[in-house]
Order: sequence, then C-alpha cells, then structure tokens
Amino acid sequence: MPAQTDISDSILEVPPPRRRRRRDWTGLLYVAPALVLVAVFFLIPLGMSIWMSFHAWPLIGVPRWIGLDNYARLWGDTSFWSALVFTIQYTIAATVGLLGVAFVLALMVQGEGRAIAFYRTAYFLPVVTGFASASLLWAWLSNVDAGLFSPLAQDLGMTDGRVNILATFTPAFWSVTIMVIWKMAGFYMVIIMSGLQAIPTDYQEAARIDGASWGQRFRWITLPLIRRPFALALILAVAGSMLAFDQFYIILNGGPQNQTVTVVYRIFNESFVSFRLGYGAALSVVLLVILLVLSVVQLWLLRDKGDQS
Amino acid sequence: MNRIGDNATVTAGLSLKRVHKSFGSIEVLKDINLNIKGGEFVVFVGPSGCGKSTLLRLIAGLEEVTAGEIIISGRDVTDTDPSRRGIAMVFQSYALYPHMSVAENMGFSLKVARRPKDELRRKVEKAAGTLRLTDYLDRRPGQLSGGQRQRVAIGRAIVRDPDVFLFDEPLSNLDAELRVEMRIEIARLHRELGNTMVYVTHDQTEAMTLADKIVVLRAGRIEQVGTREELYDDPDNIFVAGFIGSPKMNFFSARLDGGEIEIGGHRLPGPAVKTLSKGEITLGVRPEHLRLAEKGEPFFPFRVKFAEFLGGATYLYGDVGDGALCTIASDRKTQAKAGTELRVMADPKFMTAFDDKGVRVR
Repeated sequence: MPAQTDISDSILEVPPPRRRRRRDWTGLLYVAPALVLVAVFFLIPLGMSIWMSFHAWPLIGVPRWIGLDNYARLWGDTSFWSALVFTIQYTIAATVGLLGVAFVLALMVQGEGRAIAFYRTAYFLPVVTGFASASLLWAWLSNVDAGLFSPLAQDLGMTDGRVNILATFTPAFWSVTIMVIWKMAGFYMVIIMSGLQAIPTDYQEAARIDGASWGQRFRWITLPLIRRPFALALILAVAGSMLAFDQFYIILNGGPQNQTVTVVYRIFNESFVSFRLGYGAALSVVLLVILLVLSVVQLWLLRDKGDQS
Repeated sequence: MNRIGDNATVTAGLSLKRVHKSFGSIEVLKDINLNIKGGEFVVFVGPSGCGKSTLLRLIAGLEEVTAGEIIISGRDVTDTDPSRRGIAMVFQSYALYPHMSVAENMGFSLKVARRPKDELRRKVEKAAGTLRLTDYLDRRPGQLSGGQRQRVAIGRAIVRDPDVFLFDEPLSNLDAELRVEMRIEIARLHRELGNTMVYVTHDQTEAMTLADKIVVLRAGRIEQVGTREELYDDPDNIFVAGFIGSPKMNFFSARLDGGEIEIGGHRLPGPAVKTLSKGEITLGVRPEHLRLAEKGEPFFPFRVKFAEFLGGATYLYGDVGDGALCTIASDRKTQAKAGTELRVMADPKFMTAFDDKGVRVR
C-alpha cells in the first residue's frame, strides 16, 4: 500500500525558487578589503616592476623603452648567475638546517607541562627580533676583537691567536647560516609542532599495540601525517632563504671578496647603488619566476597521493 | 552458555590481581580483582568516569598500573610492552591510519614485524573475507562508511591473531541501526574465533546482549560481576539494580514489617528477607513486574502521568502515593490517560530490598 497518494498528475504549477543570486554583490563587498590590499601591495607593484624591466630607468631622468634588452643582458651577466648559485647554496644549507632543528625542537616541545611551555617560548623568542637587529647582534658577536666567538675560542685554547671568522668564506657563510637557524627555527618549530599535535594519540597507541617501535611510528605514522604543515614550512623556508639579504648585507657586506652576494643583494646594488632601476626590475622578475617554479615543484613533490581519488 | 567451557582449555584467560591506578593524587581504580576464563566474552559496563576505559588501557599496556598484577595466558605481563601482551585493541575512534589503504591498515602489525609479504597478504585477505571487506582493500579509511571502518578496525585486530581482543566502546560512533548490526557481527566473530574478548561500554543493552560475564564498575570499584541473568535477577546493590535493565528498576521507600511491606500507607505482601524483619528499606521492583491489581487484592496507588505506546508494550510513567517516580511496562491493551489513578501490585518474589546504604538485604 503506498504511503502517500501520487499527486504528480494534478500539479498545475510549481512556485518559482525564491532568493536567487540576490547576495552576489554582498560577497564581493566582503572580500573587497582583501582585494584592495592585494592589488595595491602586490598586483600594481608587480605590474610596475614588469613595466620597468622593459626600460632603461635611471633614478633621475626620462625612462627609455628598450624592450627585452635588460633580459638579454641578464643572460650574459655572470655576477647575477654567481649570486644565484650562491643563493641556492645558502638556501639548501639554511633550509636543511632550519627544518632539521625545527623538527627536533618540535618533537621536544609538543607535549604538555609548565617546563615545556617555558622552553617553547624560549625557542620562539629569537623569531620576534628583527632580522636587522639579529644581524647586528651577530656582527658584534663575530667581531674579531670586540666580539665573543674569536676571543672565547682563543681563551679556551681552541685556536692559536685570534681567528677572524668573517674573513674567509666558509666560516663566514656558516656563521650567518647558524644565525639564521638560531633566529628562525622557532618559527618553523611552531608550524611543525601544530602538525604533530594534530595527530590523534589513538594512532600512536594503535601503532604501539601493532608492535611499531618509536622509529617505525615516526617513519610510518608521524611523517606521513605532517606532510601538509611540513610542505608549508618547506615552502616558507625556501622562499625566505631565496630572498635573503639583510644578514649578508649587515654582517658580511657581501664579503669576503663579494662571495656572499645574494640575488636580492645584487638587485639592491643594481637598483639603489648603481641606480639601474630597469635592470634591477628585470632581475626581480626573474627571481619571482624562479621562486614560483620552486614552490610548484615542492607542492607537487609533497602532494598527498590519496587526494586525487 | 556451554560454549565458554569448550574454549577454556584452548584459549587464554586473563587475571587482574589487586590492580590500582592513580593519576597524580586521584585514584581512578581501587583494588580491582577479576578472573576471566579463556574464550569468555566479558563486558565492563558503568557510567562515564567509572574507570572502565582506564582498566582496558591497563590491560592493553597503554597505561601503567600503580599497583597490582595483570596476567594474560598465565604470564605476568604487568611490565610488558603492549605489542608483546598477546592483545589487540579496537579503539572507539577506530584509529585507522588515514594515509594507508584498508589492506595496509590491516597488515601494519605484520609489516612492522617484517613478516614475509605473502604471509601478510594471506592473513589480510583471510580477515577481509571474514569481515566482508574484500572489495574495499584498496580504499582509504576516509572513503568508507562508519560500519566499514569499524570492520577494518576489527580486521586489524584479527590479523594480529591475539589471545585477547579489547574493545573500547567500539559502537558508540555508529547510528542506532548499524549498532545493532555490528553487535550481532561482533557476537558472530566471538563465536567463530572463540577468543577471549573484553569489551567496554556505557550501554547496558550492549552489555546484556553480548556478554557471557558482565562487570559493573562505579567510581573505580567493581560493584558486581556475574552473568546477565545474575545481575538482572539478583543484583547485589541498588546501583547495579538501577543500572542494569531498561526501563530502569523502580525504587520506593517502604517499611518492612514481618512478611509485609508498607508503601505510602498501603500494606501488601513483602519480599522474603531473612536478615531483617522490621525497618525502613528501599524496595526495588522492575517495571515489567508491576501489574494491575485484581479486585480484592492488596495494592498501592499509581497515578499515570504519561503513557508511551511502543507497539508490543506500553510504558506507563507516573508516581506512587509518596511521590516516588514509577514506570510500569504493561501490555499494549493498557491504554491509560494521564491523570488516571490505578491500583497496582507486584508478586513478592519479584521484589528486592535494599538497606539505607543501598546494599541488598536478602
């Protein structure tokens, strides 16, 4: 017996659906502030940079359209390419160091407890200092005469006499890299820690009952489950390192022998020391493209293979 | 019931001896003593916060006992790693690894033990067959329904081939219909596998339907251990009497005087109590044991407040003379309107008496 009478034959008219698309413009209004910010601080400057890169653009005087000349010149600019090679070298060292240290710190401070909260804060503290102030602090600590490292190493008998760690490439490079790790590891620690804390304890307990050792749980449960926060940390670390400038400018002045000039440093020199604004803009555009490609590659490498189904 | 004895020699039992557990200064389990025979299906039941899940986690080895011993298959496992206790656990949340397929989830314990691939595949396929999961082996947990996830979690336990299965409120995340289905499924598994199973729930219906032996816990103590019939018909105290059975047992303040009791000024034949002849008691009567009094029979009055028609039965909710709430499970023909006053009574053999501390007086 049918529960309801079939009324389909008796229907004359169906009322039209109400409230159609009435709210479209309100949505736009809500996102407008964000759109304006993005436009003013990103899209317009980006467009201007690209526009500038097609000109010979002196600081004073009339810009002159030169088409792709800046890009053609960039192709043969060995100082740019060596800066890029150095930047990549630094990016690899800094990213591996940052994420490695951040991971260890995150594992240490992911739990609960008052002491843990204290350490968490302590590790994060350097993050809130500016890059310039941290660099100045480090420049002083690394100073051969008035600083800490060189006199301390001598007093402890580790070196004969004062060694200027900023005078040769290798110690200078690592000195800056370690400074960056000290300053920024806390930031990535927070990202990875939030990922670790988001893993339900049930998974770890189930794996313990399944007989997985600490190492096996880390490899097969923890690592795969923090893929997303890890991808975020990786992209931020790589992009941040590729844009390094302050620390090399303040601590090393690009030295010794201009071996620590990064790409942004190079752009700064071209634009604001040599006042070739158009060429500087062309370098910026190329760096942007490189960063874009790097980010896409990283996202692709760290994609969740189960997501596509 | 005979089945328990059949498996006792083959499968392993479980004993808890003077087990205590404290978190800081809070004692959550006090002096737990329990013997579980091999192949028995034991259900820990109690209100939330009674320590039943903690007790299960102690058996699993996920928490350490503060004092006492845990013995599985005649082996003291008190300080043994969870993976070496011969147990497998099904979590309330299922705890399926979201980045692994069903097959990988089920085979994880064999993978970490570095067992050969063909053994792994064979065992996973066998468990999947038992649980009707064969078509889902390549899926991720996120692509399964609640009931399927539940079965995968059970499958993961089966693959470990444990002496004792531990279930921590496994059905609480399922809807009512699926819960009944899975309850039957778990009962079937127990029959097929014959393992010892320890099952934690706050739902007395699950306890009643699944258990060979029910352990009722309250505030970190065992209140009573027994078969469902023992707990239902012969509760040791007022808590067990009220916790087991649905709708709940009715409790009235009454005066015991010789062989009779007095409820709200009405005298009627009372329960046979040997240890007490006179005094104030709490009288317990199950809703299905209250009936309408015949003409001339002794009775006490019951005022109907609300009637629930359930098809096969009608539940009448109301109160008795002194204001105590009361439920009567009647047959479907009893159609009483709210406000009606009925004369009801119960057979003395179905009455239970409790003293002022809630302990049964017999």
